[in-house]
Amino acid sequence: MLKDKYQQEIDELLSRYPVKRSALIPLLYLAQRDEGFVSEGAMKEIAGLLHLTPPQVYETATFYTMINLKPVGKFHLQVCKSLMCALAGSDTVIGWVKTKLGIGPGETTTDGLFTLSAVECLAACGTAPMMQVNDDYYERLTEDTFDRILADLKKDGSCSLKTGPFMWPEPAPAKPGA
Amino acid sequence: MTFKAWIRTITFYELVVGMKATMSHLLHYKPITMQYPHEKRALPDNYRGMLSLLRYDDGTEKCVGCDLCEAACPSRVIRVVSAEVPGEPTKRYSKEYYMDMTRCLFCGLCVDACPVDALGMTREYEWSVYDKRQLHLNKEQLLAIGDRSFPVREKQLELQHPNVAFFNVAFKHLPQKPD
Amino acid sequence: MANQTTETVRLMIDGISISVPKGTLVIEAARQAGVMIPHFCYHPKLKPDANCRMCLVEIERVRKLQTSCSTVATEGMAVRTATTVVNDAHKSVLEFILANHPLDCPVCDQGGRCDLQDFSHQYTATSRFAETKRIFQKEYFSPLIETQMNRCVQCLRCVRYCDEVMDVKALAPIGRGTMTEIKSFGNHPLDCEFCGGCVQICPVGAITSRLSMYEYRPWMLKRADTICTFCGDGCQITVQTKDQELIEVNSAHSGGRNNGDLCARGYFGFHAASHPDRVTHPLIRRNGTLVEATWEEALLFVAEQTNRIKQAHGPQAFGGLISGRCTNEELYLFQKFMRLTIGTNNLDSSARYGHVNGVQAMRRVQGTHRWTVTFEDIVQADVLLLVGTNITEANPITGLKVKEAVKKQEATLLTIEALQPAVGTISNITNLSKQHLCVAPSQFGAAVLGLLKAVIEGDHVDPGIRQRASDYVSALSHAVRQIAWEDLAVSTGISSDSFAQMAASVVRGRRVVVLAGQILLRSQGGYGMCLNLLDLLLLSGKLTSPGCGFAPLAEENNDQGAVEMGAVAELLPGALDLTDQDSRDRMARAWKEELPLVPGGTLIEMVDRASAGIIKSLFVVGENPVGSLPSQIRAKEALSKLDLLVCQELFLTETAALAHVVLPAASAMEKAGTFTNTEGHAQAVRPAIDPVGDSRPDWEILSAFSVFLGAPLEYGEAKEILKEIRSVIPGYGSLGPSPIAPTADPSAIDRYVTEGYRHDVAIRYTLPPRAVRQEGTVQLGLVQSLFHSGKFSTHSKGLLQIEPSAFLQMNPVDAARFALGSGDRVRLSNNRGQFITTVKVLERVPEGLAWLPDHFAQEALRLFDCVIDPDTKVPSFRTATVSVLKAT
Repeated sequence: MLKDKYQQEIDELLSRYPVKRSALIPLLYLAQRDEGFVSEGAMKEIAGLLHLTPPQVYETATFYTMINLKPVGKFHLQVCKSLMCALAGSDTVIGWVKTKLGIGPGETTTDGLFTLSAVECLAACGTAPMMQVNDDYYERLTEDTFDRILADLKKDGSCSLKTGPFMWPEPAPAKPGA
Repeated sequence: MTFKAWIRTITFYELVVGMKATMSHLLHYKPITMQYPHEKRALPDNYRGMLSLLRYDDGTEKCVGCDLCEAACPSRVIRVVSAEVPGEPTKRYSKEYYMDMTRCLFCGLCVDACPVDALGMTREYEWSVYDKRQLHLNKEQLLAIGDRSFPVREKQLELQHPNVAFFNVAFKHLPQKPD
Repeated sequence: MANQTTETVRLMIDGISISVPKGTLVIEAARQAGVMIPHFCYHPKLKPDANCRMCLVEIERVRKLQTSCSTVATEGMAVRTATTVVNDAHKSVLEFILANHPLDCPVCDQGGRCDLQDFSHQYTATSRFAETKRIFQKEYFSPLIETQMNRCVQCLRCVRYCDEVMDVKALAPIGRGTMTEIKSFGNHPLDCEFCGGCVQICPVGAITSRLSMYEYRPWMLKRADTICTFCGDGCQITVQTKDQELIEVNSAHSGGRNNGDLCARGYFGFHAASHPDRVTHPLIRRNGTLVEATWEEALLFVAEQTNRIKQAHGPQAFGGLISGRCTNEELYLFQKFMRLTIGTNNLDSSARYGHVNGVQAMRRVQGTHRWTVTFEDIVQADVLLLVGTNITEANPITGLKVKEAVKKQEATLLTIEALQPAVGTISNITNLSKQHLCVAPSQFGAAVLGLLKAVIEGDHVDPGIRQRASDYVSALSHAVRQIAWEDLAVSTGISSDSFAQMAASVVRGRRVVVLAGQILLRSQGGYGMCLNLLDLLLLSGKLTSPGCGFAPLAEENNDQGAVEMGAVAELLPGALDLTDQDSRDRMARAWKEELPLVPGGTLIEMVDRASAGIIKSLFVVGENPVGSLPSQIRAKEALSKLDLLVCQELFLTETAALAHVVLPAASAMEKAGTFTNTEGHAQAVRPAIDPVGDSRPDWEILSAFSVFLGAPLEYGEAKEILKEIRSVIPGYGSLGPSPIAPTADPSAIDRYVTEGYRHDVAIRYTLPPRAVRQEGTVQLGLVQSLFHSGKFSTHSKGLLQIEPSAFLQMNPVDAARFALGSGDRVRLSNNRGQFITTVKVLERVPEGLAWLPDHFAQEALRLFDCVIDPDTKVPSFRTATVSVLKAT
C-alpha cells in the first residue's frame, strides 16, 4: 500500500493543489517510482485517496505514455516517433533496437534490462532523432552513439552521452535502505 | 353498304379467311405442346425460381440473421428469428428462418437486399404440392435446396474486406489488437 | 420557472428568423426553427463538448465554421447550415468517422435507428481510406451492457452522461487518439448502476443492451408508453414489443416525469412480467392441493363461499388487502367492492408499510395528502434536506433530480443518512452533500430533534409563526429544552455545532425541500419524525413559501394512489376521513348506497383478527403478507385459519400458496389504467402485450365477483372507472405533462398550531431509545437494493444477472473485526433465529451497521423486531441487533 509507505509525501502532494484531483499525476508518478509501473491496485488506492472512481484514474494513466501500466525493464527506452523525429529517422532507431536487442515496441528483453516504447513528442525536435532512457535524454542519435549508449547502460547503468534530465519529477531520492 | 361488302357478306368471306388458318394447319400438322414431365423447356439465364439459403465452402451458413430480407420482402414471405451464435459471442445468425412460398412472387428483392449473398434464386420450379403447408419452408429445407442447386460454394473469409474490418466475425476470431 | 423572466435574442437560421432565450445554443435554436443540424456528441442533457465536429455551421461575419453545439446564440446572428461549405465540412467529418467505423450495420442492433447511418445516407458519404480499420480486442463481457468499441465514434456522450447525469463515473475514455475506447477499469467487466443510460444515449451501436441483443430490428417493434412499476417515482417507459414478446424498454428524452432517464430496474427489469412461472389459469384448492379450473368455476366457488360466510358471520368477517402496484382504477374498485358489495371497512394496501406515515403527517399538519412541491421544485430548490432516503437505491430518479439540483443549479444539499460518503460502483448522494450527518437508522429521530433544537435555540424561528402561534412555539421550545445536547451527541455522534450549521443552512434557503425516504418512513416512530420535519418547516417559516415543502417518497409505484383512492381502512377516496360525516355523506350520495359504519381494521389488525377467528375470509390482490411480514406477526398461521382466502396474483407467492382460490391477474404490462406517482401525478398506463394465458386485469376480476355476488359494479373498460373516480374526486388524474401541486391549507395549519400538535408533542420530542451495541453484534437494517424492487423484480432475468441473491453489506472495519471478506458466508443470529448469507464489503455502509436487501430475505425476516405505530398502525420491522459469525 502506498499510503503506509509514503504517507508524508502523499500529504505534501495533496496539500499542493486546491482541487484534490489535480494531485492525480504526481501520485501516479509516485506509484510508478514505487513499483516501476502503475498496478491496478495502486490505481484503486489512488482513486480512494482522491475521491475518484478507478475508471477516472485509469483514464489518465492510459493517456500518458510516461506512465507504464505493465512492468518495464531496468532501462525504459522511449523513442520519439512524432513528426520531427520520424522525418529525422526514428523508424531507423526502432529498427536498431529490433536488430540489436530483438524487441519491438511494448516488448521487454528476456534479461529484463530493456523495454522499448514508441512515444509521442518529447520536445527535443531540434536534436532529432532522440530517445529517453528512464529520465535521461539522448539526442542526435546515430548508430555509433546508440551502440555506445547500450553498452554503457549494460555495463554501469548510465551513459555520459545523456543530456538532461529535463522532465519532472526531479530524480527520485535514494530509497532508504537501498 | 357498298357493293364490295355486300359480295363479301353473301359469300361468307370472313369464314373462308378464318378457315384458311385451320385448313393450313390441318395439312401440315406439327404438335407444339410439350410432353411436360418427359420433356422440359430450356430456362432463360435469368430465370428466377425457388429461393434457397447458401453456405460457405466450409459448410457454415452465410446468413447473418440481419432481417433485411424480411424488411425488403413486399409480400411478407420471410420471417427471421435472429440470435447470437451459441459459443461465439457477438456473432449473429438466424436461429430460425421461414419462407412462406405460397405468397412469394419471385421478385428477387430479398436476394438484392442480402448483404452477405446468403440468398440465391435457384432454377427449380417443380414445387406443386397437395398440401400447401408444405410450402412453408424452414431453414433446413432452404439450406438443402441451396446445397443441391449450388454445388460450388463461395470461400469463407475471416475478414471479408479490409475496410469492413470484421463483419460478423465472432470476437474470439479477431486478430490481436496492434499495440 | 414561471416567475423567471428571460431575456430573448433574435437570430436568423437559414433565413428563418427566430427568437430564443438568451444563452440558448445555436443547435438548439436551429432545432426550434425546424432546422436539424447533424450531430453526435451534442445532447441537450449534457454540457457541450464539441468533439465530434459534425455540427459545423457558417455564421455570418465569423471567418471559420463554428460548432453550433458550443456556440451561444447572440442577437442578430445569421447562421447558415445548408451552404456548400458546410455540406463539404460535414461530408469530410463523416469520412473521418467512417475511416474507422466498421460497416457491420446488418448485424448491429442500432441499424435502423443509428445517427451515423442516417447521416451517411443523407450525405451519401464515402470513404477514401483503404487502410485496415482499427480493431479493439474484446477483453471482457459485461452483464446486460454490451460494448463493441470498434463501432465507437468517440463522441463521449456515454462518459459524460455517466458523470454529469448519473454521477456514477463508471465509464472513461481509455487510451488516446484513434485508439480511445470506452471502458470501465482494466479488463474488468462493467460494474455500475446499470441504468442503461449509456445504451440509450449512444448515437451508434457501440453500447447496446445484451438482454435483447440481436432479437429485433427497430422497425419490427410496437411501442407502448406506460409507467414503470418498480418504485414511486413514476417514470415513463416505452415498452417495445415484437409480436407478444417484450423486447426492450427505453424512455424518450423529455418524456414523462423522468425526462428519459431510467434506472436498472426500469431499463432491465421488464422481463419480470413474462416470467414462465406466471399463474396463467385460475386455481382452486381441492383436497388440499391447488388445481387448475375455469374462470366460471372459480368465480362461482368464491361467490358461494362468500355468501355462505356473509350469512353466517356478517360482513365484518371479511377483509381485503391490495398491493400498491395496482392501478388507481383497481384500487378504487377494490375499496368500493369491499365497502359496498361486502360491506366492511376492513381493507388495506401496501401503503401501510410506510407511506401512510408521511401522508397522515401531511394531512395533519398542512391539510394535503400530497406533496406541495413537484420534481421541478426539487430541481430548482436552493436547499435540499434528505432524511433517511438512501435515494439512489430507493428512488433513483428522484435522486437524479437531487443530483441535477446540486450539480447544475448549485443547490445546497444537506443529508441525514445512514451512509458514509465513499466512492463506489454506484453513486452515493452523500458525496454531493455540503453537510452530511451519518446517523444510524434508529437514531434518525434524534438527528431530526437535534436539527429542531438548533433551529429553536439558534433563534431561527420565523417571526410570523412566533406571532401567530406563540403557544405552539413555546411548547416546542420547552420540549426541545428537555433534550440535552450531550444526550444527542451520544445518540447520534454529532456535535451541536454541526446541527447549528445545518439548521442555519436550512433557514437561509429560499426554496427548501425536505425529502423523507423509506428508511425514515418505515422505521419505528416514522410518523412522529415526519411531523417533526413538518414542524421544522413550520418553525423556519418555509412550509407555506412557494417552492418549499415536505416530500415523503413512496416505495411502490402507486402507494400514493392507494391512499388517494381510499384503499386504506381509515380513508375514503380523495383521502377523505372515514369518520367524517360530511365525507361519508358525499360518498354515499355518489355511490347511492350507505357506507359501512364500523371502523375497519388495518393490515396487522386484520391478521390479528384472522388468527382470533373474527375474520373468516380475506381477499388479497397482489399483496403478500406471509412473505413480507416478520414471522412473529404469525401471518401464515392466521391466514391458514381462514375459511376463504382469495388471491389475485401474478406468481404463486407464499400467501397464494395458502389460498383457496388463486386467480391469475394481469401485470402492469398487460392492462390499462393510471398510476399516481410519489409527487401525486396521475399518469396513464397502457398495455404493451395481451394478458398472459387466462389472466385478467384485477378490476375485471373484482367486477366479476360483484356480479356473481348479486351487487354488480360493472364497467366496460378501465376508463369508465376513471370517469367515476373523477366524479368522486373532481379533476383527478388530468394526465397533463406535470402535476399541479396543492398548496398547504392555511386553516389546517391553524388547526395544527393551535390544538392539533398538543396531544403527542411530549412523545414526539423524546429521544428514541439508544441501542446498546454489544461486542460481536451489528445493527442489521433491511434496505432496498437498487437492482430490485419488492419480490416482483426477483422474477426478472435481467436484474438477476446483476444481483442474483441476498447478501450482507458491511463496512470494511466491521468486516475486519469479524474477520470477514467479500464472498464469505456469514451467520446472523439473535434470540429469534438465524440466517446465513454472503458478505459484501462496502465502504458506504457506516460502521456498526449491516444492510440486507429485503428482496431475497424472507427467512431473515424472523430476526427483526416488529413495532406497530400507535397512530398510523404502520408496522415497522426494519432493524434488528444480530450477532455475526463467520459460517463455514
